[in-house]
Amino acid sequence: MSTQTPPRYPFAWTPPMQVPEALRNIHKTSAMEVTLPSGDVATLVTRYKDVRALFADKRLSRNIARPDCARISKDNDLFMDPNIDPDPPEHTRVRSLVTKAFTARRIEALRPYVQQVADQLLDEMEAAPQPVELNEALAFPLPIMVICKLLGVPAEDRDQFRAYVDGFLSVTKLPPEEVGQCRQNLWKYLGDLIDSKRENPGDDLVSELIRVRDDEDDSRLNEHELHFWTQGLLIAGYVTTASQIGTGTAVLLHHPEFVRAIREDFSLVPSTVEELLRTQIMGSSVGTMRYAIDDIPLSDGSVIKKGTSVLLSEEGANVDPEVFDCPMELDIRRTENHHMTFGAGLHYCVGAALARMELQVATESLLRRFPNIRLAAPAEELPRALGGFMEGFTEIPVEW
Amino acid sequence: MRVTANSETCAVSSLCVYRVPGVFDQDEDGLVLVLDESPAEGLHEEIRRAARGCPTKSIRVVEEPATANVPGEAG
Repeated sequence: MSTQTPPRYPFAWTPPMQVPEALRNIHKTSAMEVTLPSGDVATLVTRYKDVRALFADKRLSRNIARPDCARISKDNDLFMDPNIDPDPPEHTRVRSLVTKAFTARRIEALRPYVQQVADQLLDEMEAAPQPVELNEALAFPLPIMVICKLLGVPAEDRDQFRAYVDGFLSVTKLPPEEVGQCRQNLWKYLGDLIDSKRENPGDDLVSELIRVRDDEDDSRLNEHELHFWTQGLLIAGYVTTASQIGTGTAVLLHHPEFVRAIREDFSLVPSTVEELLRTQIMGSSVGTMRYAIDDIPLSDGSVIKKGTSVLLSEEGANVDPEVFDCPMELDIRRTENHHMTFGAGLHYCVGAALARMELQVATESLLRRFPNIRLAAPAEELPRALGGFMEGFTEIPVEW
Repeated sequence: MRVTANSETCAVSSLCVYRVPGVFDQDEDGLVLVLDESPAEGLHEEIRRAARGCPTKSIRVVEEPATANVPGEAG
């Protein structure tokens, strides 16, 4: 074993548009040790074949609230709630209550609403002085409005819970006391929301989960789970999509030839969205933290030992040359694009179809409204979010 | 070609429904349904892609020796 400290993870994107050297070299071995922001060491699984298989492997537990599991952050017990077991059968029970809200039919029924919100935001953007900051004009408000509608959260509360969520997802950005305060505030906010939905249920997912909790037998969802999963849906439902709309658009605008191609043929939007998801520069794979409850052999014959903390490298899998031709190249016409950005197996992102639809609407609406839209600052100088769970660009000035 | 799907392992990604809507659908809970178990040949390549892309490998495609693909001819 090497005595050197394993490389820091997440890998730094410096300059911001350039694939980190470590990520380019990631496939030389099927797994590598990395040092997390907490200082703990975890094993990063790097190749598509292994990542895909391990996402579906029951020997990897998602319950990371174990004393010997690596922590992502020293200041924040991100996703280490000891009251929640995100493994089957508990996970399966909760998940099946939620998935029905995310079927293709229901997502498509939401599309006109998403379009309407996008159009309204773009109206406001058009009237504003240029340059406009894309995160605040479109990337954040759009998915927040959508998740508010889906969950039945009052849209006027969005600034409030957005600040709480930002603190909740701090890895190193905020001191532990502030993280704790944000988490308490978010939990209280959700408690009040659940109370008000109990009194005035609506046609929304939180009301539906409360109904399951209160009316049916208690084995289905306890009060803590109701809180926890509402929180999970609220957080996952907008931060990820918002970061991807912003960073994906920034990357796209960095390639004017693709913007021109899409303007001539808007049927390229879905494959463009997939390609921007594949190259997913808005986040690392720290959210895929798992714990090996048994020895697990990898495809090259090496073995992950029982008791190892494991990260499944979505970004590594997404640029595996065994699977993708010219993996470092952005190709908006890629047809075979089974990227790992939403995971795989039974934990596959429940909101993937919703996110895809929002990304499609945002991308197409933006390019239709502003055919000459471009970055108003050099791409190399766009500031990246640091110390948080999401690593997208914090400011994306655009003009047209 | 014969297409079947395992709704027990389905994770409601909706990818197959978007890719080949006439062949795949979802029930009320979002679980995969196969609408056409013997789809027309023009759809076969898209169905193979859907099977390869399914995040839970819940789609099974059995290639039946068809007139256009005699064993030994296609390699």
